[in-house]
Parts: sequence; C-alpha cells; structure tokens
Amino acid sequence: MSNDVWVVADLKIDGTIRKVTFEALTEAKKKLVGGLGGQLCAVVLGSGVSGFEAELGKYGAEKVYVIDSDLLKDFNTEGYVNALGELIKQNEPAVVLAGNTVFGQDYFPRAAARVGSGVAMDAISIGLSGDNKLQIERYSHSSKAIQTQVFHGGATMMATVRPNSFKAEESPTTPEVISGSVELNPADISVKVLELETKASDRPELTEAERVVAGGRGLASEENFKYIYELADTLGAAAGATRAAVDAGYCPYDMQVGQTGKAVSPNLYIGIAISGSVQHFAGMGSSKVIVAINKDPEAPIFQKCDYGIVGDLFDVLPPFTEKVKQLVSE
Amino acid sequence: MKILVIVSQTQDTEAKIQVSAGGDSVDTADMKWIMNPYDEFAVEEAIQTKEKHGGEVVIVSIGPARVVDTIRQALAMGADSAVHINGDGFAETDPFAIGKLIASEIKKLGDFDVIFTGMKIIDEESGQVGVQVAEELGIPHVSLVSKVVEINADAKKAVCQKEIDGGHVVVEAPLPCLITCPDAMNEPRYASLPGIMKAKKKPLTEVGIDDISFDGLGFSKEAVSKEGARVKTTGIEVPQIERKLKIIKGSDEPMVKGEEVANAAEELIKLLREDAKVI
Ligand SMILES: Cc1cc2nc3c(=O)[nH]c(=O)nc-3n(C[C@H](O)[C@H](O)[C@H](O)COP(=O)(O)OP(=O)(O)OC[C@H]3O[C@@H](n4cnc5c(N)ncnc54)[C@H](O)[C@@H]3O)c2cc1C
Ligand SMILES: Cc1cc2nc3c(=O)[nH]c(=O)nc-3n(C[C@H](O)[C@H](O)[C@H](O)COP(=O)(O)OP(=O)(O)OC[C@H]3O[C@@H](n4cnc5c(N)ncnc54)[C@H](O)[C@@H]3O)c2cc1C
Repeated sequence: MSNDVWVVADLKIDGTIRKVTFEALTEAKKKLVGGLGGQLCAVVLGSGVSGFEAELGKYGAEKVYVIDSDLLKDFNTEGYVNALGELIKQNEPAVVLAGNTVFGQDYFPRAAARVGSGVAMDAISIGLSGDNKLQIERYSHSSKAIQTQVFHGGATMMATVRPNSFKAEESPTTPEVISGSVELNPADISVKVLELETKASDRPELTEAERVVAGGRGLASEENFKYIYELADTLGAAAGATRAAVDAGYCPYDMQVGQTGKAVSPNLYIGIAISGSVQHFAGMGSSKVIVAINKDPEAPIFQKCDYGIVGDLFDVLPPFTEKVKQLVSE
Repeated sequence: MKILVIVSQTQDTEAKIQVSAGGDSVDTADMKWIMNPYDEFAVEEAIQTKEKHGGEVVIVSIGPARVVDTIRQALAMGADSAVHINGDGFAETDPFAIGKLIASEIKKLGDFDVIFTGMKIIDEESGQVGVQVAEELGIPHVSLVSKVVEINADAKKAVCQKEIDGGHVVVEAPLPCLITCPDAMNEPRYASLPGIMKAKKKPLTEVGIDDISFDGLGFSKEAVSKEGARVKTTGIEVPQIERKLKIIKGSDEPMVKGEEVANAAEELIKLLREDAKVI
C-alpha cells in the first residue's frame, strides 16, 4: 500500500476537465497529502485524452496516470471500472477521489466493489482521522442530516466529492506522466451504446454555478420557461427545474434539481412557481440565499426561504428581470 | 422470464428527523417505515416486464422483522414470491456487506434474466448496493434508467435509455443485467384489496443469519455489524439553517396591481443587494 492520493479526472462530454477535478486536487493537497506523506496524483481515463498534464499539474498533481483507449469512449462504465480497478490493484494508493457527477455515481462505486474497497459518496468535506484514515462529511436523510464517516481496515479508501464544495487553487508542479499501464480487452465490454445525443449549452453547469434560477410546475408550459432562461442569463446563472416541470415536458431532465436530480449549493437560488417539496429541497436546501416567487402564500417554500414575493410569476418576473438587467448593464 | 427486485425498507424522510442519544444515527423510535420510494419504481417496472413477457417476479430484501411489511406490499403490487434475509445485525453495517449478502442469496435462486432496484435508498442515500450486487454477480449494470425501451428474453438483451448531462444515451446490455431506477420512469401502482389478500399467501422464504454461508464473502458473521463496516458513520447532526423569511406581500394575495408589483420587484432587488449582498 502506498501513501499516494489519487483524483480521477471528471471529463465533460466535450472532452474538457470538469472543475470538480481541480477542487478535489486542491482540497486533497491541503487536507490529505501532507498527513499521509505520499504524492498527489491524477488519473485520466478516456479516448483521445493526452495532453492534460499541464492543466492537472497547475493544481498540484505530481503524477498523472493516463489510460487512453477507444474502449473508454462515451463514458463506458465497464471500461472505466476495468481501467481504474486495474490501476488501483497495480499501485495500491491510499485514497482515490472522484467527482460525484452523474457518471461518477455510476462507475465509481463499482470500481470500489471491484477492488474490495469501501466507498463514501458525495463528500462535502474531506480530512484525516486521528489514525490517518480518510474521514468525510456528507448529507443523508433527504439532505436533512450531515453524517461523519470514517474509513477503517487496510484497503484503498475511496470517495466521491460533491462539486462546488471546495475552492480550486493553483499550486503549479510539472507532473510525471505514466501512460498505458493497463491494457483493456474489448471482450470485457458487454454494454453497447446505440445512440448518444447531447447538446452543448452556453449556460453554466448547475452543479458548478454560483447562482441558480429554477422553475416549477407553475410555469405551465415549455414556452414560458423562457422567463427562467432570461433571468438566468441576465444573472449569469444556471437554469434548474423541479421534477414536476421536467415530467410535464417543460424542460430537459438534466435541469432537475433535487433528491433524484442534481444537488446544488449556490450563493443565490431563485425558485419560481415551486412549492418547496422535501425532495426538491434535498437538492438545493443548503443554498446560501434562497428566494421564492409563488402566488400561493401558503406554499411551503415560504417557510424555508430568505426572501420572497407572494405574486403571480407572470406579473412579477418581467419587471424583476427588467430591473436586474438595468442593474447588470450599469 | 425470471425477474428479481431488490427492495429495501427505509425511514420516511418527509418526516422531521432527530439525532439519537448515541449521536451517530437517526432516532427511529417514532419513525414511520416505508418502502424505499425508488424501489417502488423498480417493483412497478418488474411487474410491467412480467405482464409483457410472462414469468415471475421475486423480491429480495434484507433487514429486521419489520421489513416483512414492505415485502408484503411488493407482493400485493403483484410480485410472486420473496426472500427475506432476516436479522437485526444488518441494520448498521455498510453497503459493501449488504451488497455481498444480497448477492450471495441471489446466487442460490438459480438463473434469472434481470434485476431491478432503486437508484438509492432515501435515508443513507449512497446508491451503492445495486452496483455492488451486480459486481458480485459478475453481471453488467445500467444505472439511472429513465426508460426501459425493450427487454428481449430470446435475444437476451435489454435496451435502456439514460439521461445524461446535455442529452441522453441509449444502451444495450446483455441479459442478465441489473438496472437501477430513478423516480418518474413509470407510475407505481397501488396494491389493490384483492392484491393485499393474495399477498398474505404468497411464498416468503426467511433466511436467518445462521443460514448464511460466510465462506467466500470476505468477512465473517461477526463483521456484519457497525464494527465490521469498512466505512463507519461516527456522527450525525441535523443542521439548522436559519432563514430570513422576509416575504413581500401586496394588499391582495397574490398581488396583481401594476405599481405594487413593480415596487415589490424593486424591494426584492434592494434586499438582494443590500441585505444579502448577492447581486
Ligand atoms: C422518490 C421521489 C424523488 C423525487 N425527486 C425529486 C427531485 O429530484 N426534484 C424535484 O423537484 N422533485 C422531486 N420529487 C417530486 C416532489 O415530491 C414534488 O412533486 C415536486 O418537487 C413538485 O414540483 P413543483 O414545486 O414544481 O410543483 P407543485 O408542487 O405543483 O408546485 C407548483 C407551485 O407553483 C405555484 N404557482 C402556480 N402557478 C403560479 C404562478 N402563475 N405564479 C407563481 N406561482 C405559481 C403554486 O402555488 C405551487 O406552489 C420526487 C418525488 C419522489 C417521490
Ligand atoms: C438505525 C439504522 C437502522 C437501519 N435499518 C436498516 C434496515 O432495517 N434495513 C436496511 O436494509 N438498512 C438499514 N439501515 C441502513 C443500512 O445500514 C445500509 O446503510 C443500507 O442498507 C444501504 O445503504 P446505501 O446508502 O448504500 O443504499 P443504496 O445503495 O443507496 O441503496 C440502493 C438500492 O439498494 C437496495 N438496498 C439498499 N439496502 C438494501 C437492503 N437492506 N435490502 C434490500 N435492498 C437494499 C435498494 O433497492 C436501494 O434502492 C439502517 C441504518 C441505521 C443507521
């Protein structure tokens, strides 16, 4: 067993590295690497993924393991599990971290199972316990509680970290690159991608955004979601939604915030025509400032927000957005 | 087809929660126990699959005696039989051991085509048990399936749609495979009265901790406890976020008048700038 701490790079569909990777590198360097006495390493798994070392080195990675293979294309779960599992078996790092993204939630626990490790999901803090074991905090019980979890036993300690929980700070090094130490076998990939459709968006990603504007069932149509997008774009915010709005087809699924959808924790969350269900709050209840616009004074969201207007969105939102626009242009 | 569903009982997190005296778990004394909501979607998907292709639906669950209520609910919805791994010691172990135990019982059930389970349990919320079981059984998993497009028992494949950032992906997995279910993939049915009556007579196999062979599991009977967990929960707190609750109301509810609305918008902006300092 080595004392190294690994961070698996979280890649976006456009092939760039997601910010959570740099956040995890920064926090791991601060909280884990010194105490454990090993090196900070990054792992890049994908297809056509060379040349990331400069970017990863900027955030302190001293070593970069790269597995570049066609079999890792399109976020292939089995490919990722095989590659990461094999790398862990070869090198036995003390800790492996990854982003708690849609894909992270899919491959990472399985990779942990592969190497016989316990895994903690969606950490909002990381550190070491008295006897140098990984210790994390995470939300549980529909995000109403925060648990402290401590690893024990001798296996590699594995955890995913929630995006936007730590600050990414530069601390440049020139990493050593170790490529191709795992051979993947096409016969091990049994799940095939038949169709992959994605659209790039100019808006910030929900989980990374400092501000979120979200719409609920009260928007009443896909067409009306333009009010949400307009305010979001004015504020440079990400656009979110409730399940009720997604279910009704007003907006795409990847906008869903909540227990099933994304967990967000922005400085400013504005919820429009959203009642404030437990499941929705499980995804945004830790936002710093919560604003509600709802026409029903009895809506539960008014019991758990900072600011609100009791009013019809179609009356309130246009002048509000207009005034925010003026403010921004000043 | 033989369709398995891994079903768990959980604490109703709609409820207010309190930390127990020990400080490391949630007080369950007055807690209502329910079927894990995501597992309801899994049971529904399994029953719909049976309705289309014929076969049987087998429920597998682990936990103390109270879990039987949840198993009966799944049987009342239309599942055919169940296996209950019964023991109190499982309650505070980790997903790693839970997954291994479930997988070891599934191995005893013979060949099967597909396993459905919820994407996560709403108390612990870690979403590991399903994939752990799949790994243990050496079968592929497809997580967070928004739609099962097709299950073809003859061609031995399942075609599933998943929602990903910016779009969706359709994958084809060979059978047997394990599928994890988010909400909204279907509309779980309610158990009918005749369903509830029938459920009482459906076969339910109890497996006690002494019936389990720990050979090859990689941990001992004694390790199935909090002490044996690889990841231990050592503390839990219920943070109280004080919200400001500054609500702007008009003379009517909801306010409608043009000027009043404009003033409210103005006032909200002022609060966000000067009080919250976020814009
Ligand atoms: C297992 C499970 C998981 C779930 N996961 C999620 C999740 O991840 N995310 C999620 O959001 N939900 C989730 N839900 C669903 C959740 O329980 C609620 O049903 C949902 O959040 C409600 O969405 P809503 O607030 O938009 O709709 P509603 O509850 O219908 O509220 C609409 C609100 O809009 C207001 N309104 C209507 N018209 C106007 C108007 N013109 N102007 C101003 N206000 C107006 C109404 O007063 C009302 O308060 C989940 C449920 C389950 C069972
Ligand atoms: C006081 C206390 C009491 C508890 N009581 C129980 C209990 O009675 N029964 C119990 O199972 N766990 C109980 N737990 C939780 C248990 O310790 C595990 O944490 C839990 O089973 C798995 O957590 P997870 O977050 O990994 O589940 P997830 O991986 O998030 O669950 C994913 C899916 O796996 C399946 N699954 C998970 N656990 C089980 C299970 N036990 N049986 C069948 N399917 C399952 C479900 O279908 C679920 O949708 C208790 C915990 C505490 C602190």
